Amino acid sequence: MTLILIVGFLTICPVLMLFLGSFSQGLGAFGTFTLEKYISAYTDPDFAEILLNTLIFTLGSAVVATVLALFLAYMNTRTNIPFKFLFGVITIIPMMIPHILFAVSWVLLLNPSNGILNRLLMQAFGLENALLNIYTLPGMILVEGLLDLPIAYLIIAPAMGSFDVSLEESSKVCGASFFRTLTRVTLPVLRPAILASGILVIVRSLASFAVPSVIGMPGRKYVLATHIYRTISTGFATDYGKAAAIGMSALAASIVLIYLYRYLTSESSRYVTISSRGYKPTLLDLKSARIPLFGIVGFLSFILIVLPVVVLFYTSLLPYVMAPSARAFSLISFKNWIGVLKDPVSLLALKNSLTLGLAGATLGVILSVFVSYVIVKVRTTAAGILESLSFLSFSFPGIVIGVGFMWFFVHTPLYGTLWALLIGYIATYLPYGIRPLSSAFVQIHSHLEESSRVCGAGPFQTMRRIVIPLLIPGIISAWILMATMFVRELTLSVVLSRPGSEVLAVQILRFAEDGLWGRLSALGIIMIFFSSTLVMAASLLGRKLMKAQSLSA
Amino acid sequence: MEIKIQGLTRDYFSEGKRIRALDNVDLTIPANRIFTLLGPSGCGKTTLLRCIVGLETPDSGEISIGGDLVWSREKGIFVPPEERGLGMVFQTYAIWPHMNVFNNVAYPLQSRKTPAPEIRDRVAKVLQFVQLEGFENRPATKLSGGQQQRVALARALVAEPKVILFDEPLSNLDAKLREETRKELRRFLSELQITAVYVTHDRIEALALSDLIAVMKAGAIVETGNPRKIYFDSDHRFVADFIGRANLIKGRIATEEGDHAVIDTDMGPIVGLNSQQIRPGSEAFLCVRPEFMKLARKEAGNSRNVFKGKVQALIFVGEACEGEIKIGETVLTTTIPPTEDINEGDTIFVSFDPDHCFLLPN
Repeated sequence: MTLILIVGFLTICPVLMLFLGSFSQGLGAFGTFTLEKYISAYTDPDFAEILLNTLIFTLGSAVVATVLALFLAYMNTRTNIPFKFLFGVITIIPMMIPHILFAVSWVLLLNPSNGILNRLLMQAFGLENALLNIYTLPGMILVEGLLDLPIAYLIIAPAMGSFDVSLEESSKVCGASFFRTLTRVTLPVLRPAILASGILVIVRSLASFAVPSVIGMPGRKYVLATHIYRTISTGFATDYGKAAAIGMSALAASIVLIYLYRYLTSESSRYVTISSRGYKPTLLDLKSARIPLFGIVGFLSFILIVLPVVVLFYTSLLPYVMAPSARAFSLISFKNWIGVLKDPVSLLALKNSLTLGLAGATLGVILSVFVSYVIVKVRTTAAGILESLSFLSFSFPGIVIGVGFMWFFVHTPLYGTLWALLIGYIATYLPYGIRPLSSAFVQIHSHLEESSRVCGAGPFQTMRRIVIPLLIPGIISAWILMATMFVRELTLSVVLSRPGSEVLAVQILRFAEDGLWGRLSALGIIMIFFSSTLVMAASLLGRKLMKAQSLSA
Repeated sequence: MEIKIQGLTRDYFSEGKRIRALDNVDLTIPANRIFTLLGPSGCGKTTLLRCIVGLETPDSGEISIGGDLVWSREKGIFVPPEERGLGMVFQTYAIWPHMNVFNNVAYPLQSRKTPAPEIRDRVAKVLQFVQLEGFENRPATKLSGGQQQRVALARALVAEPKVILFDEPLSNLDAKLREETRKELRRFLSELQITAVYVTHDRIEALALSDLIAVMKAGAIVETGNPRKIYFDSDHRFVADFIGRANLIKGRIATEEGDHAVIDTDMGPIVGLNSQQIRPGSEAFLCVRPEFMKLARKEAGNSRNVFKGKVQALIFVGEACEGEIKIGETVLTTTIPPTEDINEGDTIFVSFDPDHCFLLPN
């Protein structure tokens, strides 16, 4: 019961606040009921264009991510392409590179004035103007699509892997060609997974703030998220009521989409038949296309993993952005690094982010353990409510929730403190803790607990000696997921952080707005270093704990 | 220790419908016997077992173990499973994968705060009993199915429980191992002289292991008796059919002859055991098991219960031939030794001993 109250508070409170706020007079406090904010928000002459941008941006990203994911999943599960370990790397490593840094690295490469790649191309072909401009909708779509590729892959690959190959084989026996089989059998059977991945990418790109702020805003391409941000952070009158009114529509769209996603994923288990015969599907021999196709995969992993780090590291050593040349190399120094390490705000942001990552993930995991336990093992009406609630927050766009929490926190002493960020983080990212833990709980057969009870152990001892030890892998992965999310958190923080409670991603956004690319890159590399260390330390610790378990027990 | 169950009822709700898993069950399980609950899946046997252990709470009724009331809705008594002092072997064995054999087996003693040296002695003793000496440090994940089963048994026995309960403990083993383990289990249990409650849907397991069998159907106990009684002379049609293969021949009782009676059937009059004293004139079934039918080429001297028929089908299954014999309009199944020189289409004489076929009320 207490759990429902806590989770209910975390999910419902910001929405309620957002709702109330959107109908209130005044700029930041509750006032008399009014529709004024809605009217001014939705009659804004720019609003139609913003909506159109949002639509193109989210759909485009979904198409880019899903098509690439389909290609990668097919290559991995169905062909004899070499170096298959790369596919695992593609899905995990990008988690360690914060979205904002990925976006920044593309700005550094392709901005029209001094983008490194643009400069190189201009030198090579003797051009007057930059060839490519990242500050456009296609640029945003490309970067967002690449960012959401891992999540799309994680949805499509398992569906592709459990695909019953006899469906394809019977199509071939019926005389259909390879492409006919692909378009008439394979893709239609995978349709639920493809749609699910598309919808999830739409939800994520709708909530995405890193790409629209770093790439979209300099090019004056606003989407809903940046429009909300503009409403509350620039100009003289920060109007939280208007932001809330805009946020309501983004929130409503997300909720609808996420329920559609949920419906599709429950459907897909009916479509995709898991072959019970357990034999391995014959792998398609790519023959001479093997190496070129691998080239594409290799290139994708290069731009997803290596490129951002290399570009950032390179930029961090230079006084200003320039293409690699003899002059550039002669100017290499650690000035930016020293600048960052002496900058009190950057150091504070680093400290805050790490504190939030460690404390937030720990608290979040503890809450997730209890919630998952109730969802999986108790199975009452309350458990159903809890599951829906925790799933609901999955669909909340961070910036909108940020505005909702803002409405709440201004009335409490928590306003502008790390506590506000901590509560907001846990509320928004709770599903990321609940998911790995629920599946860990599902794997613990109820007999294991019951036999402990029959053996004379009470419920508490059963929890301590049987359940928790068996949960350790789930706990570790939930913790890693939450900690990395928190260390790089941007969208919520942008709204909730105040002087004194700065965090890394916000500080990086400030650097980007001020054009301090060198310092930004140095801080970015530090950020990547910490989140990678976090991931590795946590997985090492997990392995040690498992070993200690099996020895002592 | 004796287990007494009175008026036990348990309902489930599934998709808005109420399903009665246990329907007013009254049962006494005598001390120091191997007692089997046998029935088709979904008959409530596992629910009954789980109610005895305390993993499930009934809706009404009373359970007492060795004279101590452990559950009563009326008196508001619920003793949790950890305080009932029982041992249980689960269908999945429920061996904890993060512990080694020693810790799995020692767990019940550790929970009861037994001193460490005593734990070591008792674990060693029980492992020896189940023939797993020297396995103490083996991780639980490195055990074969049969070994897991024995670890589960050792864990259930180590604290010297009042009662040991088994929930289909052999159903996860392959056919050959199942047979060996069954014999072993029988030997362990008869050595121990302990009250054992055993749940299974396998009739051979039930017959081979039990001192007493209770056959269940739709949440209720249909019949209780020793294996021979259940097999040779059960009181209910359902039980007769469930415990072994049976030809059930419909007819009407003509005359009584002491503890036998004559039943008029389509095949003609047949004499069978009538231990339930069904009255002449009432409809009844005669149960003849295939293995008790004798086949002969020529008509024997004694003409009672002998019928002339034709071999309609004959299937060779290795240890026997399964035949279908048509007598008039009735088709009976029978087992024929595979060495017998009988072929499809042969005319044959079938006889059955009046003491080895029995009458069941309709």
